[in-house]
Amino acid sequence: MTVELVEAIADMRDDEAVPLAERLLEEGTSPLDVLGACREAMGIVGQRFEEGEYFVPELILAGEMLREISELVKPLMEAAGDVTKHGRIVLGTVAGDIHDIGKDIVFFMLDVNGFEVHDLGVDVPVTTFVDKVRELQPQVLALSGFLTLSYDAMKETVSALADAGVRDGLKIMIGGGTVDEQVQAYAGADAFGSDAMAAVTLAKQWVGAA
Amino acid sequence: MFEVIGEKINGTRKSVGTAVVERDTELIRSLAVRQAEAGASWIDVNAGTRSDREPEDLAWLVNTVQAVVDVPLCLDSANPEALAAAIGETTRTPLLNSISGEAWRLDSVLPLARDHGCPVIALALDADGIPSGTDGRMAVITRLVEATREAGIPDGHVYVDPLVMTISTDITSANVALATIAAIRSAFPQVHITAGLSNISFGLPARHLANRTFLTLAMAAGQDSAILDPLDGGLRATLIATELLLGRDRHCRTYTKAFRAGLLTPAST
Repeated sequence: MTVELVEAIADMRDDEAVPLAERLLEEGTSPLDVLGACREAMGIVGQRFEEGEYFVPELILAGEMLREISELVKPLMEAAGDVTKHGRIVLGTVAGDIHDIGKDIVFFMLDVNGFEVHDLGVDVPVTTFVDKVRELQPQVLALSGFLTLSYDAMKETVSALADAGVRDGLKIMIGGGTVDEQVQAYAGADAFGSDAMAAVTLAKQWVGAA
Repeated sequence: MFEVIGEKINGTRKSVGTAVVERDTELIRSLAVRQAEAGASWIDVNAGTRSDREPEDLAWLVNTVQAVVDVPLCLDSANPEALAAAIGETTRTPLLNSISGEAWRLDSVLPLARDHGCPVIALALDADGIPSGTDGRMAVITRLVEATREAGIPDGHVYVDPLVMTISTDITSANVALATIAAIRSAFPQVHITAGLSNISFGLPARHLANRTFLTLAMAAGQDSAILDPLDGGLRATLIATELLLGRDRHCRTYTKAFRAGLLTPAST
């Protein structure tokens, strides 16, 4: 039965997927198995996106299905006491840059893929990143920026984290517009990503979640 | 007349970014000449480099492009120092790209426009970001036009950019942009309205189709300029046909001439 759910989500049949998940839960399928099916479906969606068969609207729709199903599952999981998040991520667009579309898509995809994501917004001062990293102790920091000016802010943010003694053990990914290996090296980040799926893949690698 | 701002010389594109850093005069000149030949009213130059070297890089772009074309330039940078350095090198009055409702940008770029008599692109955003609806955008735009008027810049020198957002994440994006364009045209009849086109189709397949169809709708709503690729044949054909259909092509001269020049053939439509 969960196979049908995987296919419904992967094939973008949102009118079927959510009722199907509801029925599965009613009939006694464990919440963890339903979530497992969702995760499997998201893997297929991600792969189709990478292969150029699916596009951003399909990522968004899959995410919305996943969110609705998560809402159904959450109370059952909380009752059973097995709510776990993959890991904690702090995210924001760096100082001097107010672009939010890419960041918001990344937030959404990380969130629906089971990460605890703290979005600090746009034009985030260096000191705010440092304070929040110290306070929340995330495994991953995701810096977004579209303007070329943002590369300097990324660099400043990374070195401020080092100065504050909170850089060690923290994985930093950057993304947005034209970031590449060179910007990654310039900023002193650990990796860069060209789209929201890359952010999910990196985060999963880093926190050891399959 | 519809004004095309040619977008090809943008250092955030990989090949151009490399050309800027390596001072590849040939590549930049070729892009400049081809855009000028394709009828661009302005040629945008964006160095796309880090802020410490951007003034020098943008000034180099200005000199490199001016050496081969007579079309005025659109100086594209968020860095006031780079704009100032580049203005100093121009032989024809450039268009400044851009100001916005953000105080630092207004304070640093508007005086440059005023002192050098430059037209200026005004983005519909402020320190709080990009307002999501038409009313919010118009509030920012109204403040911007008040600021340019106060600086003595005539409305005809202001190119308002309503900011076209991506439709793949918000299905109302085109509706908001078109309503904003119509509202600007009505409130400020003399200003130009320009916009980058490619944002609309981010994350979608067949982007050219969505881009040029959006261009038609935007022109009907009152947009009279666009930041686009002048070498894109389909876009150029759409532009010519839309001008015709909006009654701006006397005796259909441009349209028939374009046909005879082979610009309206199936390959480019």
